[in-house]
Amino acid sequence: MKRLQAVLPIAAAAVLFVVVWKLIVVVGNYPVFILPAPEVVASRFVRAWADGIMTPHTITTLSEVLIGFGVGAALALVVGYLLARSRLAERLLSPYLVAAQATPILALAPLIALWFGTGLTGKVLICALIVFFPVAVSTMVGIRSVDRGLLELGRSLRATRWQIMAKLEISAALPQILGGMRVGVTLAVIGAIVGEWAGADSGLGVLINLARGSLFDIPLMFATLLTIALIGVSLYLVVVLIERRLVGAR
Amino acid sequence: MRRSIDVVTGILILLVACSCNGTGNAQPTPPATPLKVGLGYIPSVQFAPFYLADQMGYYRNAGLDVTFQNGDDAQLVTLIGSGALDIGLSDGTSVIPAVSQGIPIVYAGTVYAKFPSVVFAKTSSGITTAAGLAGKTLGIPAKEGSSWIMLEALLASAGLTTSDLSISTYPDYGQLVAVEQGQVDSATGFANNEPVQMQLAGDPVTVLTVDSSTPLPGPGLVVGTSTLAAKKDALRAFVAATLHAMKDIITDPQAGLDAAIAVVPELAQDKTTQLAILNATIAQWTSAYTDAHGLGAIDPTAWQKSVDFMSGLPDTVVAKPVTVDQLVTQELLP
Repeated sequence: MKRLQAVLPIAAAAVLFVVVWKLIVVVGNYPVFILPAPEVVASRFVRAWADGIMTPHTITTLSEVLIGFGVGAALALVVGYLLARSRLAERLLSPYLVAAQATPILALAPLIALWFGTGLTGKVLICALIVFFPVAVSTMVGIRSVDRGLLELGRSLRATRWQIMAKLEISAALPQILGGMRVGVTLAVIGAIVGEWAGADSGLGVLINLARGSLFDIPLMFATLLTIALIGVSLYLVVVLIERRLVGAR
Repeated sequence: MRRSIDVVTGILILLVACSCNGTGNAQPTPPATPLKVGLGYIPSVQFAPFYLADQMGYYRNAGLDVTFQNGDDAQLVTLIGSGALDIGLSDGTSVIPAVSQGIPIVYAGTVYAKFPSVVFAKTSSGITTAAGLAGKTLGIPAKEGSSWIMLEALLASAGLTTSDLSISTYPDYGQLVAVEQGQVDSATGFANNEPVQMQLAGDPVTVLTVDSSTPLPGPGLVVGTSTLAAKKDALRAFVAATLHAMKDIITDPQAGLDAAIAVVPELAQDKTTQLAILNATIAQWTSAYTDAHGLGAIDPTAWQKSVDFMSGLPDTVVAKPVTVDQLVTQELLP
């Protein structure tokens, strides 16, 4: 019963979204190439998966997202910890991190494609770049917010530096770190698509361009967008599940 | 005295009467018909006919109030289909898949009578024919769009497919640099761009075109079907004015360059290159067919060949069968 109560508003919101979408199409009398109706997109979505168009592109994008997120988040954890615990590191790195974050990834992506090619490396780098900042900042904030008393207690019990970091600091900072990862994992999806737009042979970003610019198959474009959204939501839910397992529901 | 007053009054009455009579007979000037025109991605010398027609008053004299809007090809096709743009310059190879997907547009006038997308290579590469591409490397911006279709057509003319050569993508359009630096043996480009730049740089260049084997439709004037019905006279006047400007530029390319510089002053930085690009563009406007049937003429036989070729490709972008009658109209041509 409790689970039903939790799922019901989500299902109601989805139904409302589809109904409003359908109403806009009917009232506006929009043709398919401007705004396809939800049932047209749903049918194209099923057909694209059934005839195998979507699968290879999804595998490509998902690989880029997962590897890019892994690399970006791992680096961000290390740098975030350093920023939290070393004034020198903060002074040295902060300006560059903020500058990198402020630079539009859309402008950087073609350069990265030029330097690292249009293969997996460039996409992973773009995903890692876009994931890095939110995870690094959340890690830094999380580590800094660890109760000083707790750290003193650890030291008084002769815990090693490694033990303090692993058992106290990271454990206590986990809610913030995982909060950053929630944001980061959805940004990784955007990073992969932007990277594919800058140059690729496969991936959901490529399929969007094909559907829009070569095939003029707008329902396929919407079906691809739906797939991307589903990937983003699924990865977000995975992080939430991990968070619940490690931190508990809040 | 009274007599002179009467005379002056009479003259004044006559003058007023004449003046009133004149005003009464004058036809009110009809308001100009607004036309929103879509051009390519960014303003450039390639759009000189439109700029010249505008600046020379050809559009205004035809009762048109023309505004230009730049955008990429896919965007223009959709905007024209939706009626947000009245007419635009778009790839013929985009019209075929777009119409097959139900986008209500039609090709109404040829601008590029030759297909401008080509394969180019340094003469020193030894590539002289399409067959010579076998086993070579080639750079292309993306494995889609008009360049990809042209490549497939060119290779098919020699019994080859895209798997018979090694293809690298250059999404940042860096394939010219790649050819110059020897990263690839050849690349796709536009007859009025990369080969011109290579020649100006002193590199002898070989250009392979697709026209003799598969006459793909080049960029031309595309209109929405509902706009065609609603503004036929205005669109016909627009096509005539644009063709007039094209003829002017064929006769005097410098006038076209000046018109383009008036719109994009940055082009004046390198007039030699821009004039060379314009001359190469002018060469694309005419073919044996337009020589026989007039500038802007549409060759239905060539369109049928293109539809057949594109429909038969393994990775065809033509979703549903289309006929040439659905794709082109001769109604707007002079």
